[in-house]
Amino acid sequence: MSAICHPAQLSDLGNLVAVIGDFLSLSLFSLGGGNTLLAEYHYLSVDKYCWLTNSQFADLYALAEAAPGPSSMIVGLLGMGAAWREGPSWALLSGVAAELAILLPSTLLMVLAALSWNRFQHSPWRIAFERGMGPITLGILFAVGLKILETADRGPAAYGVSVLVCVLMLRTRISPLWFMAVAGVLGGVGWINR
Amino acid sequence: MAEIPSRRALFFGMLQVALSSFGGGLSAWSQRIVVEQHRWMTDEEFITGLTVARLFPGPNQINMAVYIGARFHGLAGALLALAGILLLPFSLLLLLGLAYFYLNMRMAVDRVLAGVVAAAAGMALSMGFKILDEYWRDAVALGFALAVFLALAVAHLRLIPVVLVAGPLAMAWYWPRGAAAGEP
Repeated sequence: MSAICHPAQLSDLGNLVAVIGDFLSLSLFSLGGGNTLLAEYHYLSVDKYCWLTNSQFADLYALAEAAPGPSSMIVGLLGMGAAWREGPSWALLSGVAAELAILLPSTLLMVLAALSWNRFQHSPWRIAFERGMGPITLGILFAVGLKILETADRGPAAYGVSVLVCVLMLRTRISPLWFMAVAGVLGGVGWINR
Repeated sequence: MAEIPSRRALFFGMLQVALSSFGGGLSAWSQRIVVEQHRWMTDEEFITGLTVARLFPGPNQINMAVYIGARFHGLAGALLALAGILLLPFSLLLLLGLAYFYLNMRMAVDRVLAGVVAAAAGMALSMGFKILDEYWRDAVALGFALAVFLALAVAHLRLIPVVLVAGPLAMAWYWPRGAAAGEP
């Protein structure tokens, strides 16, 4: 993957501006709660700018899922990866900037929504938006699931684990942390390769 | 509603939500602390907030914190609530990120991550199935979903143009008709 990826020639500051601009413009498209943007994040960091390799992206996604707090904070890690070659201080700055950029537009809109909800509640715009965006979110989520699967898994053992975890997520109420812990052990002893 | 929290109380309340939910279950903890412990909102107000948080773009749990903050102290309250809920988990995640980029090449970490990544991919795969039931009997909804899926996964179009085209079409189809505004 990385062989065909040519990193954009950007100055340190130019790179930071690119990080901020791209995440700002994606913010309002994060439908259905956040994870709908994962495939776009992959495109930006692996294909468009070559900040990360495919497997680094998968690692960071797993890290964000396993760590406490909202998993949408992966954007901070991606921002960090975007500037890692410029040294840790640029990486931290870039990570914080990326997270602020992805949250700022949706937060401002949310403040407006919270303050004007009573007027807005019965508007036909709201009803149409709510009903119309549901099916679109559904389509995006399947596309995202498939993209992450392709990014993460190599070989039948990995695919088997993913499908099993998917079924268990739907059929049981076991905390996903257990799945990641068990799968981490299986990986550690060498059963899941990539 | 019993009392309006001060800005300081709001920040520390959200910090408490973030700390309590380190094992998972952020939205349950948020309800327990905001509704049951501090009594800043009634159950009904909280559920209205969740509805708004899910409807608008942005991560649900973060939107909920913004909603709570904005209800009491407008924009300043929203930013304080956001800072409270993100400060600890985001700092921790950045530390993990630093550790990851330093240790990246070590084999043992890489092998463990290969397993964790496969499990996390399974979680991503389950997201669509989780809401599939709601649309199972609506053929038009399934059609929209399929078209969006094909545009993204097969035609490799980017999300923003796809949403900008499919969004207005779906909104037009689901526009409430007549005063009764029943199902189309």
